[in-house]
Amino acid sequence: MTETTEIMTETLILTEALKTALIARFTALADDEITLSHRVAEWTGHAPLLEEDIALANIAQDELGHGTLWLGLRAALDGSNADALAYHRDASEYRNAPLTELPKGDWAFTMMRQYLFDAWEVLWLDTARQSSYVPLAEAAAQALREEKFHLQHTALWVERLALGTPKSTHRMQDALNQLWAYALGLFDPLPGEADAVAAGLLPDVTALQARWLGLVRGHLEGVGLSIPSASELSASPLPYSRSQHTEHLAPLLADFQRVAREFPESQVW
Amino acid sequence: MSELPRWEVFKQDGPGKVHQAVGSVHAGDGQHALFTARSVFARRPAAVSLWVARADHIFALTKQELDAGTDLPEGDGGTFHIFGKKTNRRSMTLGDHLGTLEASSPQAALEAARTQYGDDLLVWWLVPDSALVRSTDSAETVESWFAPAKDKTYKQQSSYGVVGQHASAHKKAVRGGDHD
Repeated sequence: MTETTEIMTETLILTEALKTALIARFTALADDEITLSHRVAEWTGHAPLLEEDIALANIAQDELGHGTLWLGLRAALDGSNADALAYHRDASEYRNAPLTELPKGDWAFTMMRQYLFDAWEVLWLDTARQSSYVPLAEAAAQALREEKFHLQHTALWVERLALGTPKSTHRMQDALNQLWAYALGLFDPLPGEADAVAAGLLPDVTALQARWLGLVRGHLEGVGLSIPSASELSASPLPYSRSQHTEHLAPLLADFQRVAREFPESQVW
Repeated sequence: MSELPRWEVFKQDGPGKVHQAVGSVHAGDGQHALFTARSVFARRPAAVSLWVARADHIFALTKQELDAGTDLPEGDGGTFHIFGKKTNRRSMTLGDHLGTLEASSPQAALEAARTQYGDDLLVWWLVPDSALVRSTDSAETVESWFAPAKDKTYKQQSSYGVVGQHASAHKKAVRGGDHD
């Protein structure tokens, strides 16, 4: 065995605790993608412009593709089945951030949520490219490419609507007020994640939050929107988290999982 | 929002290939048109560059109109991109970028184009350079706008055997007598 191989083998040894942390993060990422993809896909056939209908379906499909990517990474660690995880877990077992399960709302709400989420995902992926866990570094590099396009697209909509008409400005501000606390929830560290962060396996979400704030604050304030203040937020903290969902997740999953659950033995689709 | 202006979309499939007119999108401005064009026209197929131009800024003429002696409307001179449809055999594109030329008016550009590119084209489009909005050529744009399409196998119908198995495997099992 050459020296290089030994080093590589050494870095690939994961303790059970680190493995558990990776599995938890991959599950959280996949669940974000699956639920948000479903919400975005609800626009199919209903978007205000045919072109945006197609663009949104495209984003939904990309997010679902990323979900598949993350569940694939999880499967490599624990042998789990992606379909079983996606279609046969209940709301209490889903680990998405409540941000992604909220009903699609109006166009302003959809674009604002997607923008806030895309910015988080771009930064998470950008950092994860440096992960010492090679499968993650590779997957992150792959997903980052199209996520950057999503972010540019949604940033453009945020700008156009915020600077559009008094009505569109009002709706964007309204959406931002409703979404902000939920968006911050993306940055809650997962239990047991700290060691994996210290080992260079996973991005430090707390450090990411500072970068994210700089990015979205610059864009949102640059187009005249106001970000809810810390005192407004602490006055009524959200009772929701990745393990404490809103009432909206169960109906979303009922819709998303319906066919798979109704026909569990089905072989042909 | 259906009253938004129409933009014609020109797609370049690869380095060294010419931009081709592939269709149109509705959008509020040039940047928005580029984004929607990317989603509508470069989601799966290969592309390295997109251009858009407002449809009402394009000077267009068919062979029939030309034969009937129709002239192009008055307009500013400058650099014109000449697009032409040479055959009706390939219906996926509406015209190829033939080149650019300088002219004092759209009509002068058309006459120069007919001399330069032949007189038997079915459709002529003259796009003022100032009307074109282009995707950037930076490596990052190519990477995030166009490269992912190549390996997004999950966008192909064939990858949706995720749940269960391919139909042929199922039929095989049935023929094998498991279901009698």
